Amino acid sequence: MKYYLLLVALLSASMLFGIETQPNDSSTVNSYTQEPLVIENESVVIIQTLKQDQTMLISVTGQGVAPMNTSSPAQAYALAKRAAIADAYRMIAEKVKGVKIDGQDLIKNMMVKRSTIRTSVQAMVKNANVVETTFKDGLCEVEMEITLSHSDF
Amino acid sequence: MRSRDGNYSFSLRLLVSLLFTLSLNAQEYLISYRYVVKDAIIYNESLQVSKTMKKCNGDTYQPIILENNGSKNLKEIISKNDELFRNYIHKIGLNIKHNEITNNLQNSSTTILTLKTKCFKVDINDNFAKIALFK
Repeated sequence: MKYYLLLVALLSASMLFGIETQPNDSSTVNSYTQEPLVIENESVVIIQTLKQDQTMLISVTGQGVAPMNTSSPAQAYALAKRAAIADAYRMIAEKVKGVKIDGQDLIKNMMVKRSTIRTSVQAMVKNANVVETTFKDGLCEVEMEITLSHSDF
Repeated sequence: MRSRDGNYSFSLRLLVSLLFTLSLNAQEYLISYRYVVKDAIIYNESLQVSKTMKKCNGDTYQPIILENNGSKNLKEIISKNDELFRNYIHKIGLNIKHNEITNNLQNSSTTILTLKTKCFKVDINDNFAKIALFK
């Protein structure tokens, strides 16, 4: 009788382990799919690694403002667009290469006198595509995409 | 003995090919491009174009073809096809240098985009200009 109960317990335990391992198998299959991985321009940071034979699509939206002393609306649009493209390039560089951050707080007599944060990024960006451009109320927004593949690095 | 028609077509072909080679005068130019964006506003945009003093060697990347109305000046051709050429430069790749400083919760940023001086092969014709970057 004891052996019978032990056998039943062993069988049920093995079934439970089997159920547990199933989702893990499916997740590994998903991670090797050939579809491009998308990193959206949101506050949530998604950390992904680029595997061989896999592409990664990075999508960002850059913003630019027209200067005050423009001679025509067309010039304002052109300049704002250029600034927006630069912003989008900066965002791509930040996402791919990362940002160097340096912070400094000056506290005197138990009070914060000065708080400084410096961020910097330096990179080279090639083959980025402008997907969409919108210009409204002096603000130009440029949606930009870049596809990264393993061979690029 | 050759017929008159045969001679005519041969000389015509020779003349056309001669004119074509003369009209396509391949030249080499050095081009650099730079602009600064400070607090989302663009400043100091500059495009420098000059002929090379030394010959550039090697293969070229995929060229861009700009429309031309008989001009021989590359700067003039580029200014007429400004948007197209700027897109091409962006595709080639720009160096980005971005610095941002937040001082007592007040933010200011400076982004510098630069195309370092590169050699381009330029074929200028009466109707078009073919520009390609040397590898």
